[in-house]
Amino acid sequence: MSNVSRDRLLLAVAIILAGIYLFPLYWMYITTIKSGSEMFATPPTFWPTDPQWQIFGNVWQSRNMGRYIWNSLAIACGAVCVITVLGVGCAYVLARYRNIWVDIGLFLILMLQVLPASLMVTPIFVGFSQIGLLNYPRLAVILAIAAKSMPFFVVLVRATFMSVPQELEEAALVDGNSRVGAFFNIVLPLARNGILVSAILIFMQAFGEFVYSKSMIQAVELQPASVGLNSFMGPNTNEWNNIMAYAAIYVTPILAIFVLLQRRIVSGLTSGALK
Amino acid sequence: MTAQIELTNVNKYYGAYHALKDIELSIRKGSFTALVGPSGCGKSTLLRSLAGLENISSGTLKIAGEVMNAVPPRKRDVAMVFQSYALYPHMTVEENLTYSLRIKGVAKAERKKAANEVAAVTGLTHLLGRYPRELSGGQRQRVAMSRAIIRHPKAFLFDEPLSNLDAALRVHMRKEIRALHDRLGATSVYVTHDQVEAMTMADHVVIMRDGVIEQQGSPLELYDRPANKFVAGFIGSPAMNFLPAIGGQDGRSIILDLGLKQTIALGRTVQPGQALSIGLRPEHIELAAPGEGILSAPVALVESTGATCFLTMATTPELSVVFNGRSVARAGDRAGLNFVPGSMHLFDAETERRLPG
Repeated sequence: MSNVSRDRLLLAVAIILAGIYLFPLYWMYITTIKSGSEMFATPPTFWPTDPQWQIFGNVWQSRNMGRYIWNSLAIACGAVCVITVLGVGCAYVLARYRNIWVDIGLFLILMLQVLPASLMVTPIFVGFSQIGLLNYPRLAVILAIAAKSMPFFVVLVRATFMSVPQELEEAALVDGNSRVGAFFNIVLPLARNGILVSAILIFMQAFGEFVYSKSMIQAVELQPASVGLNSFMGPNTNEWNNIMAYAAIYVTPILAIFVLLQRRIVSGLTSGALK
Repeated sequence: MTAQIELTNVNKYYGAYHALKDIELSIRKGSFTALVGPSGCGKSTLLRSLAGLENISSGTLKIAGEVMNAVPPRKRDVAMVFQSYALYPHMTVEENLTYSLRIKGVAKAERKKAANEVAAVTGLTHLLGRYPRELSGGQRQRVAMSRAIIRHPKAFLFDEPLSNLDAALRVHMRKEIRALHDRLGATSVYVTHDQVEAMTMADHVVIMRDGVIEQQGSPLELYDRPANKFVAGFIGSPAMNFLPAIGGQDGRSIILDLGLKQTIALGRTVQPGQALSIGLRPEHIELAAPGEGILSAPVALVESTGATCFLTMATTPELSVVFNGRSVARAGDRAGLNFVPGSMHLFDAETERRLPG
């Protein structure tokens, strides 16, 4: 097989796979603007005959989505702040020191990443309830998410720090800066991209977080959009178009961020790997 | 002359690894000192200890008369030029140059003036607004130098600054660094693994091996009177020939063993029967007509660069000979060899030390 035809074949496979992956997303958007009867029509229509654009406004109003999204934002931003401030320091230390304790630390961090949220939630719940943290349920969720996502952040940012040559730091030390000064003046600006990208990834994760929020936040007015979406769905739900509209409003901003920044995200993720 | 840098009995351990062993070194103010040796000999560790990037395990380290053992780098007032240049990639050339001044809290206008002055000296004026990634290797090298110069430090430390440049530029920068050193009246310590760089640039050469200073002195002292076989073999290019020999029974001659034994009279005494290693620099062996000279041997290889001729003789061990001009002898011919009087270095075959006298 020639190179050209092989490339075309691979391209076709890629397009088909992408189509399969993206089909649910397409179906979500399309179902949103279908009318009630069209939604259940057989055979299904792939483009609505009578798009119902007003549904977005209706759902936003009736489900009080503003409050849910606000809660999601608050939780995501809180988690990103906690993780960034603590994780950057941790990642730096793990990047610069090499001994048996650092290796053990890294191993434990990777272990943490393996544990699923649904397994962690029970001990976390019990612990938080004993120290009274559940009286501040959003803070409790922020801390739980921070614990869950920190390893991911630390591993990514550590790679970024490792790509900053140590000689630059030494040059700054000889130039008259202190260790702390060299970190903030030299290392941090050079690692900025990697840290930003990792923070965005964490934000997207936290924005869609469900398990901790569902378990720890009982008060409806404090719940994030993911829990709101879940409570929208009951056993006898048939208003799929409304649910899809909710989901569309919820995920579109994240999708937009990802599409806008995907180049930077990909290069940020590989910057540590490829020098 | 006062000593700008003084090391007394300095040791450095990395865990169980003994990286610097009893280093005694005194560096004169205004001198250009080269630390040279094969990789892993401790020369970079020594330099980093001077900068404060490594802490010495024992001994005393003085800079300008003050004990600096535990003083952090920023308070030592030394400038360092790194092998990779270590220019801050997110700063322009000007910001790179003035970074140390900024930390000291020098006013912006003064910083700018200082940068302009230094840039004029090193020829960087038109590049001040550029970023390091937009510069060539030679230009980056100059920025790294300028960044050190702008501080008027107590000492300049160079860590193999030329090893990333191509050969032609290296020769050029060699002269430039030495000229800058003279103009600034600075004290410089220069680490290199290239003995030619050390010989051509330095006033004082320190040769290290396995964390030990093997010998130190002026370049020509090291060339003329190497203290042991290692120094003798390290200094000079092509490397010195070492020939096995035994002290003659009369105590005034040696018996060379080049496959066939040959007795050579000496102008000095040796112990009869002592196992020796005779050092002879290739440039101290002269070609004579066949059958003449001290010894005669077949030529194995003739290499000529036009100006210089390199001969390898088919003896065991091989002898190399260097002279200016063209060779009349060809590979396979027999040639006579003469040794330049007084050019023979005698080492004890066992201790590898130079024999006194």
